[in-house]
Amino acid sequence: MKLLVKTSRIYLFASLAIYLVVGVAFYWIIKFMIYDEVESRLLMEKRDFVFFVRTRPTWNTNYYFVENKVNVLPVSGGFDNSVTFKDTVIVNKYDQTSFPFRQITFYTHIGDVVHKVSIRKSMIESYKLIEAISAAMVAFLGLLMIAMYLFQRRLSVNIWEPFYHILTKIKEFDLTKKEKLILPVSEITEFNELEDVLKKMGDKMQQDYTSLREFTENASHEMQTPLALINARVEQMIQSGDLSQTHTYWIEEIYRASRKMSRLNQGLLLLAKIENQQFNEIVPVNLTELLEVRLVDFEDVIAHKRIDVQNRLTEPFWLDMSPALAEILLNNLLNNALKHNMSGGKIILESTPNDLRISNTGGALKGDPQRLFERFKKESTDTDSVGLGLSIVRQICNTYHLKLEYTFDKPIHSIRILREEPNE
Amino acid sequence: MKILVVEDEKGLAESMVEYLTREGFTCEVASTFMEADEKLSLYAYDCLIVDLTLPDGNGFEIISNLKKIKATTGIIIISARNTLEDKIHGLEIGSDDYMTKPFHLSELNARLKSLIRRRNFNGNNDLEWNEILVNLAARRVFVAEKETFLSRKEYDLLLYFLANVDVALTKESIAEHLWGDYINSSDSLDMVYSHIKNLRRKMIEKGGKDYIHSIYGIGYKFTAP
Repeated sequence: MKLLVKTSRIYLFASLAIYLVVGVAFYWIIKFMIYDEVESRLLMEKRDFVFFVRTRPTWNTNYYFVENKVNVLPVSGGFDNSVTFKDTVIVNKYDQTSFPFRQITFYTHIGDVVHKVSIRKSMIESYKLIEAISAAMVAFLGLLMIAMYLFQRRLSVNIWEPFYHILTKIKEFDLTKKEKLILPVSEITEFNELEDVLKKMGDKMQQDYTSLREFTENASHEMQTPLALINARVEQMIQSGDLSQTHTYWIEEIYRASRKMSRLNQGLLLLAKIENQQFNEIVPVNLTELLEVRLVDFEDVIAHKRIDVQNRLTEPFWLDMSPALAEILLNNLLNNALKHNMSGGKIILESTPNDLRISNTGGALKGDPQRLFERFKKESTDTDSVGLGLSIVRQICNTYHLKLEYTFDKPIHSIRILREEPNE
Repeated sequence: MKILVVEDEKGLAESMVEYLTREGFTCEVASTFMEADEKLSLYAYDCLIVDLTLPDGNGFEIISNLKKIKATTGIIIISARNTLEDKIHGLEIGSDDYMTKPFHLSELNARLKSLIRRRNFNGNNDLEWNEILVNLAARRVFVAEKETFLSRKEYDLLLYFLANVDVALTKESIAEHLWGDYINSSDSLDMVYSHIKNLRRKMIEKGGKDYIHSIYGIGYKFTAP
C-alpha cells in the first residue's frame, strides 16, 4: 500500500469515526436540552393546574378546549404518587395525522377525589428544530471533513515529495557504476538527515565494491603469478632429462597440484565475479544456437567417448544475459554431461522458447541431489575435478533469475534451465 | 631473433628466458615499466612478451608506446587477468596474442614461433624438419614427399611438436594446446594418447621415422632418434 493511500485511509476512517461520535453526541445534547425545556414547562403547568384545582373543587375539561391538552381521570384504588414523563403520539382528529407529544402524569386531589392528571405538550416544533439543527450539523461536518481530507492529502503529497524524490534516486543508483549518489537538499531536517545517511551508505558501498573488486583482481594476479612460476619451473625440470622414476612421479604430482590449484583459483574468482555482478553487459543471447556452436568444440570428446548426441534443439531459447556467462554456462553444462557420462552413452539436448534441457546417461548420484549444485560437491573420484562447475552454473542462473531443475529418471540425468515465473 | 620479456616476477622471467634461449632466441628482461620503455626506445626487438600488471605501470601503455615507435614488433601479452575486456583491449591496441597465467612454456614457445612465422613470411611459408614438410598456407603435410592426410587435431599436434622439438611436453600442455582449458582433463588426456597414436601411425605408414617418444609419467618428446 502506498504511503499516501495509507495516510489518507487512516485519516478518512479516523475522521469518519469522530464525525459519527460528534454527530450522535450533538444530537443527544440538543434532544436533551429540548426535552429539559419542555419538561420544565410541563412542570410549571402542573404547578398552575394544582394551584387552579386547589381553589376549585371540580375540574371541567371544557375549561381547556384545546383538545387533549389536559386529561383528568378520577382514580379509584391505590396509586403511587409520582410524577412521570413520557413520549406519546396523539392522532389529530381532523386529518388523522399523528403528532408527537410529551406528557406529564401526576396525581392530585380535585375536591376529595384523587385524579390522575396528564398534561401534554406538542413536540412537533421541537422535533423540527432538532431536525434542522441535525441537518445543518451533518452538512457542515461533512463539508469540513471533505475539506480537511483534501487539505491533508495535499499536505502529505507536499511533505513526502522529497521522500519520493530520494526513493527514485536510490532506485536509479547502481553501485557497480562510478556515478555517485546525488540527492537533493530538502527543507525538512529529517529528510536531510536521511539523505546524508544514504549518501554515506552509497559512497561506502561503492568504495567497498571497488575495493572488493580490486581485491579479487589482485588476488587473482598474486596467486596466478606464483602458480605460473611453479609451472614454468616444473617444465624446466622435466627438460633436464636425467630424472629418476621417483623424481618424475613427484614432479608430476607437483605439476598436477599446481594446475588444479590454478583451476580452482580461476573457478572461485569467476564465482566471485558473478556474485559481484562484474558481468554487466547484457544482450539477448540465443542459448539454443550458442549450444550448437559449443557442441562443435566438444566433438572430439564426444567422438572419443562414442557418445550419441540427440540434438532436438528446434526452437530458440532467448535470454537477456552476458554473452561471456552464457558461454561459460553452456560449457559447464556440456562438460558435466560428458564427464559423468559412460562410454557409448547418450546426450539429449532439447529446447523450447522457455527452457533448455541437457540430459545425459550416467550412474545414479551417490550424494544428495539437493546438494548437487553446491561448491566442492564432487560426484566423480576424478582428482583433477575441482567441483565448481555446477555451482558456477547455479550462480549464473541465480544472477539472471533462472530456475534450475535437476531430475533423474534412471539412467538419464537432466538439467533444465527455465525462466522463473514472476512471483507477482 | 631478439625478444624482450617484460615480467616483474623474477623467477618467471628467468624461466621464460632460459626456455626461449634454449630454443635459439636472444632474450632480454625488463622487470619494470620504466626499464621496458627505455629498452624499447633504444633497441629493436622482433618480439615483445609483456605482463600487464607491473609495479610502476600498465603493460597496455608499453604496447601503445611501442606501436608508435616500431609497429612491426610482434606482441604477446601474458597476464593473470582472465577477462574478455582485457583480451579485447589487448588485441585492439595491436597485440598479437594473449596468454593467461599460468601458461605452459612450450605453449608460449609455440605461439611465439607461429607469430614470428606470420610476421616474416605473411604465413605463406613451408615448415621443414627432416623428412617432414608442412605447407602452412594450405595446411598440407608431406612425409618423405608423400602427402599425409591428418585430421585437424593431428595437424595441430604435429605443429605443436615441430615448434617444440627436443622438448619434453607434458600431456596437460598438449591437451590444453589442442582443446583449450574447457575440456575435462581426464578425458582430454585419453584423447591426447589416441591422437598421438594416430599421428605416429600415419607418419610411419608414409615412410617417416618414429619421432614421438613417450616419457614415462610426463608426456612426450618429439626428437630425432
